[in-house]
Amino acid sequence: MIQTIALLPGVTLRVFPAERFKQGCLSLQFLRPMCKEEAALNAIIPAVLLRGTTAHPDLRSITLRLDDLYGASVGALVRRAGDYQTVGLYSSFIEDRYAMPGDRVLEPMLDFLEELMLDPIREGEGFSREFVESEKRNLIATIESERNDKRAYTAAQMLKRMCAGDSYGVPRLGECAQVEQIDADNAWAHYQKVLRHSPVEVFYVGNGDPEIVAQKLRRLFGRIDRAPEALPEQTPFRDGGCGGDYTEAMEISQGKLSMGFVTPIFNKSKEFAAMQVLNTVFGAGMTSKLFMNVREKMSLCYSIGSGYYGTKGIMTVSAGIDCDKEPVVRAEILHQMEACCAGQITAEELAAGKEAILSGLRGVHDSPGSIEGYETVAAISGLPLTVEQYYRAVEAVTVDAVAAAARTVRLHTTYFLKGVDA
Amino acid sequence: MREYHYPKLGERLYREVLPNGLMVVVVPRLGFARKLAYFVADYGAVHRRFTLDGQTYEVPAGIAHYLEHKMFDLPGRDVSAELAELGANVNAFTSYDMTAYYFSCTENFEPALKLLLEFVSTPYFTEESVEKERGIIDQEIGMNLDAPDSVVFESLMEGMYRNHNIRVPILGTSESIRQITPELLRLCHRAFYTPANMILCVVGDVDPERVKALALERLGSEKLPVGEKEPQAAEEMSAPVPVQENKMEVAMPTFQLGFKCEPLGMGESAIRQEVIGDLAAEALFGESSQLYLRLYEQGLIDTSFGGGFETVDGCAMLTCGGDSHDPAAVRSAIISRAAELAEQGIDETDFMRMKRSALGRRIRDLDSFDSTCFRICAYHFSGFDYYEFPGVYESVTAGEVAQFLRRAVTAERCALSVIRPLK
Repeated sequence: MIQTIALLPGVTLRVFPAERFKQGCLSLQFLRPMCKEEAALNAIIPAVLLRGTTAHPDLRSITLRLDDLYGASVGALVRRAGDYQTVGLYSSFIEDRYAMPGDRVLEPMLDFLEELMLDPIREGEGFSREFVESEKRNLIATIESERNDKRAYTAAQMLKRMCAGDSYGVPRLGECAQVEQIDADNAWAHYQKVLRHSPVEVFYVGNGDPEIVAQKLRRLFGRIDRAPEALPEQTPFRDGGCGGDYTEAMEISQGKLSMGFVTPIFNKSKEFAAMQVLNTVFGAGMTSKLFMNVREKMSLCYSIGSGYYGTKGIMTVSAGIDCDKEPVVRAEILHQMEACCAGQITAEELAAGKEAILSGLRGVHDSPGSIEGYETVAAISGLPLTVEQYYRAVEAVTVDAVAAAARTVRLHTTYFLKGVDA
Repeated sequence: MREYHYPKLGERLYREVLPNGLMVVVVPRLGFARKLAYFVADYGAVHRRFTLDGQTYEVPAGIAHYLEHKMFDLPGRDVSAELAELGANVNAFTSYDMTAYYFSCTENFEPALKLLLEFVSTPYFTEESVEKERGIIDQEIGMNLDAPDSVVFESLMEGMYRNHNIRVPILGTSESIRQITPELLRLCHRAFYTPANMILCVVGDVDPERVKALALERLGSEKLPVGEKEPQAAEEMSAPVPVQENKMEVAMPTFQLGFKCEPLGMGESAIRQEVIGDLAAEALFGESSQLYLRLYEQGLIDTSFGGGFETVDGCAMLTCGGDSHDPAAVRSAIISRAAELAEQGIDETDFMRMKRSALGRRIRDLDSFDSTCFRICAYHFSGFDYYEFPGVYESVTAGEVAQFLRRAVTAERCALSVIRPLK
C-alpha cells in the first residue's frame, strides 16, 4: 500500500495514497542521533524556521499565508525514536477537491514548506538574532513547564536517572543549560550540518499525485549540497549504573510514584508481541491488573498505568497516590507483576489485553495522522513488522508467552514525588 | 431512518427521533474499520436544581460526575471488562452541561452498542460501591488541585460569576461529595437519563436501521418524563472579583483571562452568536492577528497562548490564557486592541481570509470521528444541526464581529486569574 521512492541518496519519500479523507498530511524529518550535545539545538530549529522567511518575514504573514491555504497548519516536529531524534515540520491541509473551484492547496503548500526550510531570515552568519533569542525563551519555558504536570515530571525524573547511560535519559527537547548555550550563529551552523548530512524521511498521506510531491521535493533537496552520513545503529537499553530509589518533596496534595523496569525484549526481538501483551494485561487500560486491583479493588489511587518503550526494552508504571500509601502501592504493583510471571492470567485478561492492541492496529489506517505516526516511527526506529504482521503476531500470543516475557522484567529505578508534610 | 445530504461538505447522515424521544444520528463512514458511538445526556455539573414529578430538588455539587463514575456498575458484572473483551475501548466524561458515554471498536459493534445502552440506562448503586467511589473521586479532586490548568480556570470562574453554578468545579469538592448517596444518584438518573433527554450518535461503517432497532429494543418506546432544570440565576455582566491570584508549584506564571458574554439562546441564532464569538476571538488574538504577533514578539506570550469563545448552559465567555511573565499587561493590551478594532472595524479582506481559514479547519476536523461525534451531540442540545455550519459562516459579517468586540471585551466584564510560582 505504501509506495517508497528513493528521491536522492539518504532521502526517502513514502506515500500512502488515500482518497477517503478530507485532508492530507506531509511530514518531513531529518534524523539525528539523540544526544545531550544536540538535543536542544535540534529542538529549537523548527521553531525558528516557523518565525519568518524572506518573503513572509513574521509570524503574522506566515499565518496569513496558511489562512489563504484554507487554514492549513504547519508545526514543529521533534520526535524521539529510539536513539534518534527527528527534526522537521509536519503539515496538514485540506484536499484540493474541497477548495473553491480552480484553487489548489497541495502544490502551494509544498512550495511554502520549501520556503520555510530554505529561505529563513538571515542575519550575518546566522539566523535572525531576535527569533533565536525569543525561541530560546519559549523552549526554556516549555522545558520548565514540564514541572506543572506532576505525573509527567515524576516519570521524566525517573527516566533521567534510570537511563543515565542511555540516550533515553536525554530529555526530548534537551535541557535548559544547553538551551542557554545556543545563539543565532551556532544554531545556523548546526542547521547547515543537519541539512547536509542527515538521513531524511518524508511521508505523505493524501489523494495528490505522488509524482508531483516527488518533483517538488527533488527541487527542494536539489538546493542543498547533500553529503549524507549514516547514523549509528539503534541499541537496546544501556545501563549507566544509577538505578535505585529516589524521593523528592514538593508542595502538592497528591503523591506521584514512577517505577522503571527493564527487559532484554525490544522491538526486534521475536518476543516483542508477547511483551506488548504483557504491558496491556499488566498495566495499560481499564481491564489491566493494575487498574482492576490497585485502583478498583483497593482504592489506592486515582490514576495508574504502565507503558512499554519497545525501542529500548523499558517498562514504566506511573501512579497518583496518597503520600502515605507509597509502600503499599509499590508492593501491590510488584505483586501484580509476580502474578504475571506465575502465569496467573485469566483467558479474559489475555483476550482483553490482546484486543486493546489489535483494535488500535485495526484503526491505524483510519486517519492521516495515525498512518503517518505509525509508519514513520516504525521506519525510523527499525520496527521490522508491518501493521498486518504485527497484528498476526499479537493474535498468536499465549499466556505462557506473556508469563515468559514477564519473567525477563526486573525493577531498575523508582522515583517518588511526595508532599512536603508527608 | 431518514437520510440527509450536505453537498457543501460532501457528507450525509441519518437522523430520527424515536417514539421514546431519543434522537438517533448515524454518520456513515464506509470502508473505515473504526466505529464510534456516543450516548449523551443533556445534563452536567451546573444542573443542580430541578423539578421532577412536581417536586423541586437541589443536589450536591459534583453529583453529575459522581453518577458518571457509578454508571459502570451492573449487578454482579464488570462492564469495562465485558467491553474490553469485545475489543471496545470505553470511556466517559462530564462537562458543565453534558455527560457523555462512548466507546470505539473495530469489531463486535452491535454487542458493544447493546452493552453501552444497557449500562447507561441501568441505575445500580449499592451503599458499598458508592462509598468506595468516594475515595477514588477524592483522589481525582486532589489531582486537579495539583494541576495548574484546572486551578487557573476554576478560579477564573469564581472571579467571573456571582451566582451561576459554573463557579463550582465539575468534580465538586471533598466536602460536597460526602453528601452524595445512592438515593440521590438514582434521583438524578431518573430525572435526566431518560431517552427524551439524550442523543445516540454513531460514526462508522454501520447499518443505521440496526442502530435504531437496538436503541428501541433496549430503551423501549415509552416516553418518560424529564427533570425540568431550573434556569441559572441571572447574572450582572460585570465580574465580581476582577483579579484572582494563587501560588503553586509552577515554573512560570500562568493565567486565564475571561470576558463575560450574554448567554446564547437556542437554534440557529445561538450558533450564529457562537460563530461570531469564534471569529471575534480570531480577529482579536488569533495567531494571524496583529495583537498576537506584537505580544509574541514582546515576549509577553508564547506558544502556550490560546483562547476562544466558550458556551455553557446559561453563560458564555471569551477566554484566553497561557504562560506569561506579565498577565496584567496582556489584559490591558487585549482590552485596548478590542476597542481599536471596534472603532476602526475589521478589514474586509482580512475577514474573508479568517472565515476561509476557520471553515477549512472545521472541514478538516470532520476526518476526526471523535470531534464529529462530539460536535453533533453538543449542537443537538443547542437545537442546531451541526452540518449546517458552512451556511452560518457564509452569512456572518465583519460588522457583527466588531459589534461583539465593542460590547463584550471591556474592562468591566473582565476577570483575570493568575497562578504564580511558589518561589
